[in-house]
Amino acid sequence: MSYTHKYRRDDDCKVDENRNKGSLRWSHCRKRGADGSVRGPQREAESTQSSSKREHRPQRPESFTTPESEGPVSRIRNWGDEVEADEMRTSVRRDMQRYRRRILAGEFVQRERKTSSGSSDSRDSRDSPAPGDIETDETVLMRRQKQINYGKNTLAYDRYIKEVPKHLRKPGIHPRTPNKFKKYSRRSWDQQIKLWKVKLHAWDPPAEEGSDLQAVYVLLWVCGGYYYGLHSN
Amino acid sequence: MSVCTGILVSKHCVLKRMEDSSKEEYRIQSFDMETQKLLKTALKDPGSVDLEKVSNVIVDQSLKDQVFSKEAGRICFTIVQAEAKQSSSSVFRRNLLNRLQQEFKAREDTRKKSTQEWVCLVSFICNIFDYLKVNNMPMMALVHPVYDCLFRLAQPDALKNEEEVDCLVLQLHRIGEQLEKMNLQRMDELFCLLRDGFLLQDGLSSLGRLLLLEILEFRAGSWTLSETAQKYYYSEVTD
Repeated sequence: MSYTHKYRRDDDCKVDENRNKGSLRWSHCRKRGADGSVRGPQREAESTQSSSKREHRPQRPESFTTPESEGPVSRIRNWGDEVEADEMRTSVRRDMQRYRRRILAGEFVQRERKTSSGSSDSRDSRDSPAPGDIETDETVLMRRQKQINYGKNTLAYDRYIKEVPKHLRKPGIHPRTPNKFKKYSRRSWDQQIKLWKVKLHAWDPPAEEGSDLQAVYVLLWVCGGYYYGLHSN
Repeated sequence: MSVCTGILVSKHCVLKRMEDSSKEEYRIQSFDMETQKLLKTALKDPGSVDLEKVSNVIVDQSLKDQVFSKEAGRICFTIVQAEAKQSSSSVFRRNLLNRLQQEFKAREDTRKKSTQEWVCLVSFICNIFDYLKVNNMPMMALVHPVYDCLFRLAQPDALKNEEEVDCLVLQLHRIGEQLEKMNLQRMDELFCLLRDGFLLQDGLSSLGRLLLLEILEFRAGSWTLSETAQKYYYSEVTD
């Protein structure tokens, strides 16, 4: 997803320095340059449209490819994206401080393990982690926060929180936002998010008269009818 | 301790205290009626208007209207907050910032074309920096651009222009302290330029010199003016 790339860009800007230095050192061994293009005879790197603060750095190619990215990632930053990344970073940091305080204040109580129906997480989500045992890697936290934001930015979520206040939530029945500060493997986390979003669909708004969704249903019905008609000959 | 004791500055001009900006909140009287209506709707119901258009309208006006350029940050912040509350999105902010970035990139051309527009641009960027806080903190992305603008204003050719010096000291009064916290080194460098400009440069008008002296003292006093300094700069000389 392109959205993910913007955040990778932030981190890559710091890591990139090392990457570029590495490529200079071993350039005679590498078939491809940092931007993914096949190396030919040495040519000038394109100049970037960077702001003056980057003028002192050596010229770097305008885009680069990493093993994780799905294609060339643009280095050109725009202020809109930078501020959004900034905002997410500060939100995540603030959340972390709040979370740490809550752990230290003993707000989370140890509970008996219950078999929770829909959750892929075998650990009970109410166990409190030791203060030193939380996820602190900002890249990870920001990626997770983005995934959570996608889920929360839906009509279904809005309807859900209006309908079911927190104190009335029943575990197993009511979806619960995965805790981004707990240590999980990437797969485990992605699966939790997926299941959470699936559960949230239960609060999707009903298809309205004349809405796109209704049009889709009608189309499917028509196509279905055509298909069966065809096969009845 | 005043940095410049012992240097005589002929004081036949006096500084006007900065306008009280709390009176008319958004200063949108300079827009035509239709645009005023658009802005008022944007403030109450951002989802119902074309936010890209709104941001362009605001930037365009800021570049023309000196009064508005100094206060446009306020209305922008309100729209940003209204949008965040209404739909958890930041379309307006993104459009505003990207448009601002374009103008910033073209600033040297703008300065050549019209000093007034250039000065409005700087006022506007600094005002945005002042008002558009993100999680109660200034936007990191704007720190260097703001400094770049101020450094440009501190160049010899700009210091000769009263209009530009006036803009420079206004911004430093308003956001100097915040800027310094975000990057002390560049503030030190900037003030070196200002000090050198004040001491060494030919072609400064007496008002220009006075403005520089005041800002040098202002920062030396930790972004505040002592009572004596206030009297010196801001009260009429009785001859």
